[in-house]
Amino acid sequence: MVKQKPDLPQGTLDMLVLKALSLGAMHGYGVGQRIRQLAEDMLKVEEGTLYPALYRIEQRGWIESEWGTSENNRRARFYKLTRKGRKRLVVEESHWEHLSAAVAKVMQAT
Amino acid sequence: MWLRALMNRVRALWQAEAINHEIDEELQFHIEMCTEENIRRGMTPAEAEQDARRRFGHLTRIKELGYEVRGGGWLESFWQDIRYGVRMLLRKPGFTFVAVLTLALGIGANTAIFSMVNAVLLRPLPFREPERIMTLWENNLKDGIERDDVSPANFLDWRERSSSVFEEMAFANPNSLDYLGGGEPETWQAALVSEGFFRILGASALYGRTFLPEEYHAGRNSVVVLSYGLWQRRFGGDPAIINQKLVLDNQPMTVVGVMPPEFKLNLFEREKVLWAPQVLSEDLRQQRRATYLKVLARLKPAVSPEQARAEMDGIALRLAAEYPQTNAGVGVTTLPLNEQMTGQVRPALLVLLGAVMLVLLIACANVANLLLARGSERERELAVRAALGAARSRLVRQLLTESLLLALLGCASGLLLSAWVSGLVVKLSPDNIPRIEQAGLDQATLIFVSGISFLTALVFGVVPALRFSKPDLNHCLKETGRVDGGGRSRHRLRSTLVVAEIALALVLLIGAGLLLRSFVSLLRVDPGFAADKVVALQVFIWDRYATPEQRAAYAEQALEKLKTVPGVETAGITTALPFLESSADTSVPFTIEGRPAPAAGAEPTVFYSVATADYFAAVGVPLLRGRLFNQHDRMDTPAVVLINETMRRRYWPDEDPTGKKINVRGGQRGQRGPSVFEIVGVVGDVRHQRLDEESRAEFFRPHAQSPNGSIIFAVRTAVDPAALIPTLKARLWEVNRTQPIYAVATGEALISDSLKARRFSLLLLGSFAVLALVLAVIGIYGVMSFATRQRTHEIGIRMALGATPRHVLRLVIGQGMWLALVGIALGLVAAFALTRVMSSLLYGVSATDPLTYASLSLVLGGVALAACYLPARRATRVDPLVALRYE
Repeated sequence: MVKQKPDLPQGTLDMLVLKALSLGAMHGYGVGQRIRQLAEDMLKVEEGTLYPALYRIEQRGWIESEWGTSENNRRARFYKLTRKGRKRLVVEESHWEHLSAAVAKVMQAT
Repeated sequence: MWLRALMNRVRALWQAEAINHEIDEELQFHIEMCTEENIRRGMTPAEAEQDARRRFGHLTRIKELGYEVRGGGWLESFWQDIRYGVRMLLRKPGFTFVAVLTLALGIGANTAIFSMVNAVLLRPLPFREPERIMTLWENNLKDGIERDDVSPANFLDWRERSSSVFEEMAFANPNSLDYLGGGEPETWQAALVSEGFFRILGASALYGRTFLPEEYHAGRNSVVVLSYGLWQRRFGGDPAIINQKLVLDNQPMTVVGVMPPEFKLNLFEREKVLWAPQVLSEDLRQQRRATYLKVLARLKPAVSPEQARAEMDGIALRLAAEYPQTNAGVGVTTLPLNEQMTGQVRPALLVLLGAVMLVLLIACANVANLLLARGSERERELAVRAALGAARSRLVRQLLTESLLLALLGCASGLLLSAWVSGLVVKLSPDNIPRIEQAGLDQATLIFVSGISFLTALVFGVVPALRFSKPDLNHCLKETGRVDGGGRSRHRLRSTLVVAEIALALVLLIGAGLLLRSFVSLLRVDPGFAADKVVALQVFIWDRYATPEQRAAYAEQALEKLKTVPGVETAGITTALPFLESSADTSVPFTIEGRPAPAAGAEPTVFYSVATADYFAAVGVPLLRGRLFNQHDRMDTPAVVLINETMRRRYWPDEDPTGKKINVRGGQRGQRGPSVFEIVGVVGDVRHQRLDEESRAEFFRPHAQSPNGSIIFAVRTAVDPAALIPTLKARLWEVNRTQPIYAVATGEALISDSLKARRFSLLLLGSFAVLALVLAVIGIYGVMSFATRQRTHEIGIRMALGATPRHVLRLVIGQGMWLALVGIALGLVAAFALTRVMSSLLYGVSATDPLTYASLSLVLGGVALAACYLPARRATRVDPLVALRYE
């Protein structure tokens, strides 16, 4: 069992955030939770890296944000995928598949 | 998406606080959620919160990042850029000074000229819908007359028949009125106008009113309107002048209004200071031959100038058929008022505007070069910043900000400079440029200046900014401290700029040179008379001396008195003095006795004036054949004339005209008397209005046989003419205290005035050319200086390997001169193509005059050589040891 949770490269984190938001608009806290859930706790995104990622992605226009009300009736900033972001997600996904397949091949060599 | 980013930034300008607050709130939410989770896990509230906060790590940094993304912070970084830019500029005061000065000169010159062009050409005339106002002229294209005044009968017919295209037509009849109210008697230029004149212009009085319909009829027309200038000058700007009576031409006239200062029409040679209503008497209505009216008309709505023109052409044709004696060949020239008022000066002004923009280009090229050179020096600094993480866009923004700062400084200094220069230019400008005194800093000029400042910042800032924001980090940081010249491509760019500057400077120099040669040629033209010792005094004596006998008597008395003034050699009378603008300018058709008469209306026309015998001696016109007038030519003896050489050459090329007779019909307006004249002599030619026009055929009648009401005394002096003027005036007033003297001028002043416009253009263009030359020289010097500094290392090696100082000199100068030569070649080609634009301004020299081109190229080459020499000499002083060690 992996005790240490591995560090994510920046590009990969961006992709995960996009994927998380593709399942529905969410506030920052919720994005972190959702990633952890989907990764079945094998992965946890630190707040210190999550928000910079969100802001960076927002600046590039792949997500947009606005104020909304959370499930417990509090004011929170919600993020949502833009059309550009959706396209970007597809691109990132295909890159990732290609990369991981290649890496796997190399590592399988005996 | 970038739109949203832009809007964010704009919003951020005044909502920086709010943005920060929002980020706080967002992160606070997250912290609270974490805290709650922690509490659920069993931590105490205090521990929970602490843990939550800790998870964020560097909270403030995250907040900053968010702030920047959401639009805030750009203003601060812009301000940072500015402060940094200012520091950079202050650190190199020499560079800053040269750059700002260069820009100030370029922008300043442009502003001054543009404000002039704006005031004179671009700003709409101060009348109601000025583009709908047309001026109408008689023309006679067969005789080469394009714009002649209109006769009253023609005017009336035009007005009556053109109601389909013009809603109103009116005229202004130039006249003069004598005012004796105190001090010296004065003659004031007036215009008698017909009904509708003010209405066409949409002009109303500043105080009082213009004329009522009934005042255009006899008995009610003793009213006048004053011009603003006259009102200020003579009546102290006192509004109480309204309804007061002035005695003008011995008639009491009531002042009913004063016009505003903008009310100035450039229709007349002399500016009008009085307006009065013209009564259309029966006599006047019949005059179809005498042309002296200026006609204005307003187009009907939805009628175009072309339609009006076509209509008037048709009307003219019908009139020519109805009145073949007077109107054969007479057509109508229809011009928009704007064209009439500014058409003459437009080409010159536009040439000037083009020239001054070239100067600005040169200035930009210079500053770009300076920036490129300095950029090379800053390359290391920029490389370090890039290595530390600065984005390229940020570096570009930084460099552009510096350029903008320079442009702003240049703009501010340029504005100051132009304000000072404008004043000077307006003072030196010739009189016929309308509205030039209104040139100044108005809205349009300010917009123009801001525009070009911004553009110049872009032009000279963009290239260096782009080049240097992508520094090759390896290259820069590897070199052990040596500042590199930036490689060959950068040098090529700088060289290109210098070559362009030299070419542009040569174009301007050639333009100015051609104008200078034209001017000099004009000065050398023999006007045909000895202008240096002549004084002219003009009087209009119709009113006081109604009969020919009275006029002859006055003339004789006056001449006697004038001749008694010590210092006067001789004096004569004429009706048309060369270069005196207010001279009579009459032309008449004539036939030669004994030759087959041409068809009616197809007779040749010549100019005609009246003179006394001594006139020719007074102005120094030689007698070429026959005799001058003498005391035997009187009213009761046969009518004689003198003709000038041009007339003789044209009509009697192979024979002696003396003894021949000519037949002149009608002649002057309302003139009775003989119409057959015998030629008794031929006199030399004079130029009458401009040095650059051909002399015209004219003949002279003796004053004794046709005493005229509009006479000019031409006085030849042995001493300085100007000094005698007061005495001469006093003598004339001894003859008649109440006779105003209309104009007094020395011959020299008259000729000089006629050249005023040319002198002005020459001065301006010459200044630009010199400016361009100076800038180009600075450019060459700068580039060569920098280049040699970069190559110190290489030069040191060469010298160590045996190159003598002379070799080095030749190397450096050779490179510089190569640039100069290319620039000169390009400049010659450009000048060849461009100077034909100004060919209408040239005299006596063609637009492609080889001498001018060659000599100016040599001058420029020589100056370039001098500019290269200094850096070259500095290069030879390089100590090889030092250079080799210098890294």
